[in-house]
Amino acid sequence: MSDKALKPSVLVQNLAKTFKLYEHPQDRLLELIFRTKRHENYEALQDVSFAIPDGKSVGIIGANGAGKSTLLKLLVGTLQPTSGDIKINGQIAALLALGAGFHPDFTGRKNIHLNASLLGVPAENILQLEREIIEFSELSQFIDRPVKTYSTGMYVRLAFSIATMVRPDILIIDEALSVGDMAFQKKCVTRMNQFRLNAKSMVLCSHSMFHIQELCDFTLWIDQGRVKEFGESEKVVGHYEDFNNKKKSYNSIREDIPEAKSATGQKNNKEIQECRINSLSVCNEKNKEVTEVKPLSTLILKMQIEVLADNINGHFGFAFMRSAEEPISSFLSTNSENINLGECKKGDVITVSLLVEKIAMRNGEFFVLGGLADKSGLLWYETKFSSALSVTSTKGVGPLIMDSTWTIEKQDD
Amino acid sequence: MFITFQLVHEWILTPISHTRLVKNFTRQDFSAQFTASVGGVFWLLLTPIANITIYAFVFSYIFKVRAVEDFGETSFVLFLMIGYLPWFAFAESIGKSTSLLLDKAALITKVKFPVQVLPLSGTLVPYLTHTIGIVLLLIYLAINGYANVMWVILPAILFLQFIFTMGLVALLCSLSVFLRDLQQLVALLISVWFFLTPIIYPINMIQSDVVRSYFLWNPMHSFINLYREIILLGEISVINLQISIVFAATSYLIGGWLFMKIRPAFGDVL
Repeated sequence: MSDKALKPSVLVQNLAKTFKLYEHPQDRLLELIFRTKRHENYEALQDVSFAIPDGKSVGIIGANGAGKSTLLKLLVGTLQPTSGDIKINGQIAALLALGAGFHPDFTGRKNIHLNASLLGVPAENILQLEREIIEFSELSQFIDRPVKTYSTGMYVRLAFSIATMVRPDILIIDEALSVGDMAFQKKCVTRMNQFRLNAKSMVLCSHSMFHIQELCDFTLWIDQGRVKEFGESEKVVGHYEDFNNKKKSYNSIREDIPEAKSATGQKNNKEIQECRINSLSVCNEKNKEVTEVKPLSTLILKMQIEVLADNINGHFGFAFMRSAEEPISSFLSTNSENINLGECKKGDVITVSLLVEKIAMRNGEFFVLGGLADKSGLLWYETKFSSALSVTSTKGVGPLIMDSTWTIEKQDD
Repeated sequence: MFITFQLVHEWILTPISHTRLVKNFTRQDFSAQFTASVGGVFWLLLTPIANITIYAFVFSYIFKVRAVEDFGETSFVLFLMIGYLPWFAFAESIGKSTSLLLDKAALITKVKFPVQVLPLSGTLVPYLTHTIGIVLLLIYLAINGYANVMWVILPAILFLQFIFTMGLVALLCSLSVFLRDLQQLVALLISVWFFLTPIIYPINMIQSDVVRSYFLWNPMHSFINLYREIILLGEISVINLQISIVFAATSYLIGGWLFMKIRPAFGDVL
C-alpha cells in the first residue's frame, strides 16, 4: 500500500460537543460575570471516532436530532469541538444549507463570484469556473437575474453546482439531494460519482438509504450523539433499517424470546407433557449449522422431537419470526397433503427437516420457531425458538429481497 | 501571550490575506444599498444633506451661532459640514455594527470563512459612501479658494479615523452576538456621543475650562478638529494628532483581539 492510501483524509478522534443551553440570553453574560452556573449541558456528540480513508466517501445516517448536523458543522469548522480532535487533510467545500452565501438581490452570476471567493477559489480560475457552473446548473437563461426570483429547485441547482465545481478535496453535503427534480438529482449523483472516481473524499448526510448505498463506501450511524456503527455501507444501512423496523413493534425482541437453550426450564402448565423438542437447528445446504444467513440462500430447518405420551397424532410447523409476536413467514405440515406421520407412541424420536430455498430477508435478525401441533393444528404441544440468526445485509433497500430476472427489449421500428 | 500575538497578527493581515473576499463583500454591501431602491445613491446623500440643512437652520438662523473666529471667518455651514460628514461615516458604521454578524448568521454557521472580513467590509462601506460627500465638499471648497498643501494629509487622518472606527465595530459586533440589547444601547450612545462632540457647536462655546479639558479627550473631537484645522487653516495641532493616533491604535488592536478571541464561539451562539 502506498502512503497516500494509508493517510486518512479525515480523522476524528474522541470528538465530543456539548452545547450550553441558557434559559435567557443574558444568562450567558451573567454567568461570565458572576461565575455561577446558569446553563444546562446538552451533549450533542460524545466520543465519536472514525477515519475516512483518502478518496473514500462516507455517509452519515441516524434519526433526527441524533447529531448528524452538529458533526457536519464540526467537520466544516463553523463549530468548535468541546473535546477531541479533528484532522483534515485537504480543502473542504460544504453544502450545509442551500445557498447560505447567496444574496437574494444579486444575480446568479454575482453570487457565483462571491461564493467562489468564500470557498477560496483562486482568482485566475474564476471565469472558467463560472462557465462550468452555469452550464452544469442549466441556468444560463436566469443567471443574470436576482436569485430571489429563483425557484427552490433553481437555488439548489446553483448552490450544488458551485460547491462541486470548486473541486475541493473533501466535499460535505447535507441533505441536498432531497430537493430538485429527478433529472437534476440524477445529474448530482453522476457528478458525485465522478467526484469519487477522482479519488476525492465525500461526506454525505442523508435520509435516503438508496443514495447512501449508491454513493458511499462507508457509513457512520449516529444514535443519540454516539457512534452506533461504522463500517461498509451495505452492512450498516441494513442494520439501521432493521433497527428502525424493530422500533415499530411494541416489544423489544430480546425480552420476548424465551432462552432457547433451556429446554427443561420451560414453563408448561400441562400435567403431562406430550412431547419434548430435543433440538432445533438451522443449517445451510451443506448441513452445517449457521448463525448468519445470506439473502437468497438455502436453509435447512431441523427439529428432533421425543414423544412422551402415547396416541399422539401430530403436525409439524416452522416459522421465521422477527420477535415472539411478529412472524415473517410460516410453514405448516397440515398444508401438505402427502405428509402423514400416523400415530406415535411414547418413546418415539422423530426428526423433521424442512428445506427452505431463497431466503427473502434482506437484513436484520430473525429466529426460527419449531413446534408440534395436534391434528387440527390449533393446539401446540410444544414449541421452541432457535437462537438469533442474522442476515448478511446486501445492497438495496427494504426488508425483503426476491429472486428476480431482468428482461429488457428494445423496440425497433 | 503567543496566542494573543497570533490572533492580532491574523487580524492585522486580514486585508492582505483575504483581499478578494473583502473586495467582494464590500462591493456586495455597497451596491446592495442602491440595488433595492429606486432612489439609489440619492438616498445615501440625502440623509446627511437634510441633517446639515436642519442643523444649519436651527443653529445658524435661530440660535444665531456666529462663524467661529478660531477658524478664520468661516461660515457656520462650512464649519458644520466639515465636522458632520466624517462623523456621519463613523456613526453609520457603529450603528450598523450591532447587526453585522447577526444578519450574516446563516453564512457564519454554515460556511467556514475568515469572519474577520465582516467588520472590515462593514466599516469600509459607510466610509466609502461618505467619502463621496467629503470629496464633493472639498471640491466645492477648493473652487472657493480654500485649498492648501496640508490637504494631502487628509487621507491619512481619515484613515486613522477609519482604523479607530473599525476597532470599535469589531468590538461591538462580537459583543452583540452575546448581548442583543446592545443594539438599542448603541443607538442611544451614538446620539449622546454626537452631542458631546463639538460638531454642531465650536468647542470654545463651553465656558468652563475644566469641562472643556474633558471634551478634549474625546477622540472624535480630535479627528474633527484636525479636519477643520487642515481644511480651513492649513495647520495641524500636535496634541490632536497624538490623541488620534493613540486612540486609533488602541481601538484597532483591542477590538481586533477581542473579536478574534470570541470568533470560535460564534457558531455556538448564532
